[in-house]
Amino acid sequence: MTRKEIWVYIERNNSGVEDVSLEILGKGTELSNISGYILVGLIAGTPEKKLIDLVIEHGADRVALLKNEMLNEYSTDYFVNAISEYIKNDPPEVMLIGATQNGRDLAGRLAGRLKTGLTANAITLSIDREGMLLAGVPAYGGKILAEIGCEYGRPQMSTVRPGTFKMKEVKNKKGEVDEFIPNLSAIRQRVRIVERNVSEVNDLTRSERTIIGGNGTRGDLTLLKELAQLMNAEIGVTRPLADRGVAPRELQVGSTGYSLKSKIALVLGVSGSEHFTSGIRDCEEVIAIDVDEKSEIFNHCDYCMVGDIFEVLPLTIKKMEETR
Amino acid sequence: MKNIIVCVKVVPKSDNIIFDPVNKRLDRTKAENQINAADKSAIETALRIRERVGGKITLLSMGPPFFEPFLKLGIAMGVDEAILLSDRNFGGADTFPTALVLATAIKKIGNVDLVLTGEESSDAGLGQVPSQIAEFLDFPQVLFASTTDISGGTLIARRSIKGGYEILESDLPAVVSVVLGAYQPRFPDFKKKKWADNNYKVKVWNGEDLQLSESVTGIKGSFTTVKRLVEIPQSSRKKIIIDGTPEEKSSKLVEILRKAK
Ligand SMILES: Cc1cc2nc3c(=O)[nH]c(=O)nc-3n(C[C@H](O)[C@H](O)[C@H](O)COP(=O)(O)OP(=O)(O)OC[C@H]3O[C@@H](n4cnc5c(N)ncnc54)[C@H](O)[C@@H]3O)c2cc1C
Ligand SMILES: Nc1ncnc2c1ncn2[C@@H]1O[C@H](COP(=O)(O)O)[C@@H](O)[C@H]1O
Repeated sequence: MTRKEIWVYIERNNSGVEDVSLEILGKGTELSNISGYILVGLIAGTPEKKLIDLVIEHGADRVALLKNEMLNEYSTDYFVNAISEYIKNDPPEVMLIGATQNGRDLAGRLAGRLKTGLTANAITLSIDREGMLLAGVPAYGGKILAEIGCEYGRPQMSTVRPGTFKMKEVKNKKGEVDEFIPNLSAIRQRVRIVERNVSEVNDLTRSERTIIGGNGTRGDLTLLKELAQLMNAEIGVTRPLADRGVAPRELQVGSTGYSLKSKIALVLGVSGSEHFTSGIRDCEEVIAIDVDEKSEIFNHCDYCMVGDIFEVLPLTIKKMEETR
Repeated sequence: MKNIIVCVKVVPKSDNIIFDPVNKRLDRTKAENQINAADKSAIETALRIRERVGGKITLLSMGPPFFEPFLKLGIAMGVDEAILLSDRNFGGADTFPTALVLATAIKKIGNVDLVLTGEESSDAGLGQVPSQIAEFLDFPQVLFASTTDISGGTLIARRSIKGGYEILESDLPAVVSVVLGAYQPRFPDFKKKKWADNNYKVKVWNGEDLQLSESVTGIKGSFTTVKRLVEIPQSSRKKIIIDGTPEEKSSKLVEILRKAK
């Protein structure tokens, strides 16, 4: 038997919960209204009550709590075991997971274990009349959206790209909590974290003004940072710069990075590959500077400027300073 | 080290794919192909591990016969062997049967310490095959590794995470997916390439060799189906051209930036 339910995996982090989990709840509320399926937030570990309330306030009709201290930190072995044991006998119709690194790690393996279908990195979600989840995935470099459905196997699983949907707070929402205590004592954790080094980061998906540098900057972000300070903007980069370590990975914009919703995005020395442009699709206004007038980026911006950033930026910075 | 397996896929260069909006089909006939970029990083990772701790590297790929010359490119990069898993019934597979076929071949090869894959393939971009191979082999998995090494019989991998990095340690055998850009892949050796083109024979295994029934591979073994292909609408940006001298351009830029505040 399957439950007429949509489950959303709530990914916890140091500051509480990943935004993408709440974003999926936002979309889940809509899907739940269309399909009549109940919306359930799946939380693992021993979280504070505050977190459970947060999940309900963001739309969950119920919280399924997999209560065990061994689940306070993500590990493939523990999580796949606990979740599959919990749902394999009466799986929900739909299970949605944020496409973060750990989310994707969990989703792939869980689908393998549960013998069901999984779609990855969806940017659209809908449920048709037969109750089938259709997950839209950009394919072939983002030229085409493939809508994928899971014919066999339940739950119908999909991971969802962060920054795609909007969270919604639902005032005075009430929800119950179902507790289950998984027994993990026999499970061996085969992958262990031996070192972790993280610092506080700004979340690029919330950045209102963003300056994005590509290979055209030659990896030198000095001018970009100066301008960013003057216009109170955040810095983002294309993947090659993140690969080379010029900027940390969480500043990467694009299909394997973050999707921006900025009011204004200034794109400098970027060739406009679809892997990149999918990340600026939702920006209100895009301005691009590139030396190559044929650059594909000019098909994705509101203001197109053919020019050398090393020539235009110093002048721009000077003028910004003068007219401050 | 015993056997190191690198799973590679041949993918079309996406620029060459044409979408036919009338028939809602992809025209791949004009597309050039290449080894998936991240899989090249996985090959490079394997070669570096072999330099340090030895082992035999086998490339493994599920796909049609036209993949063969690309696997020979791997031979020219320095891997020891290449096996193509090819069968009419393997066609149309989603990630589940793909991983099942690959995992079954890995079991058949036997004595495997390490399975390397790319983080995701550029044509489907799902990144699910690695964890499903791991599931079917009951191996631990480390995804999105930027560096991978073996030390004292343990796997050590580093990966980027939000705000920094982490270093993971894993039991062997394990499955590791390698990020695009992890290492700059070396160029194929020209002489070896010529030799491989003329003399190397890629081993080919079909469904029977793997003792996999038709019902679990290809379309029949898949859980998902593509319901519709939709062209993603071209961006409706204004595309206003700003030209002039650098002076004029920067003045205009200042104006636009100011307006946005
Ligand atoms: C699976 C996969 C996932 C990917 N994910 C992402 C992703 O999330 N994000 C991403 O960005 N990429 C991603 N990529 C890579 C993507 O395909 C492109 O390779 C990448 O975006 C190119 O980066 P770029 O535009 O900075 O560099 P390039 O393509 O090298 O372009 C540099 C541009 O700068 C211009 N230029 C040079 N000098 C100057 C100058 N002085 N002034 C002005 N302009 C100048 C050039 O004309 C050119 O247009 C992915 C690729 C794959 C295969
Ligand atoms: N048909 C295939 N043959 C061999 N390896 C594959 C195949 N499909 C996927 N892989 C491997 O799995 C990785 C992730 O692929 P995917 O899950 O399709 O994004 C790729 O980078 C390859 O290393």
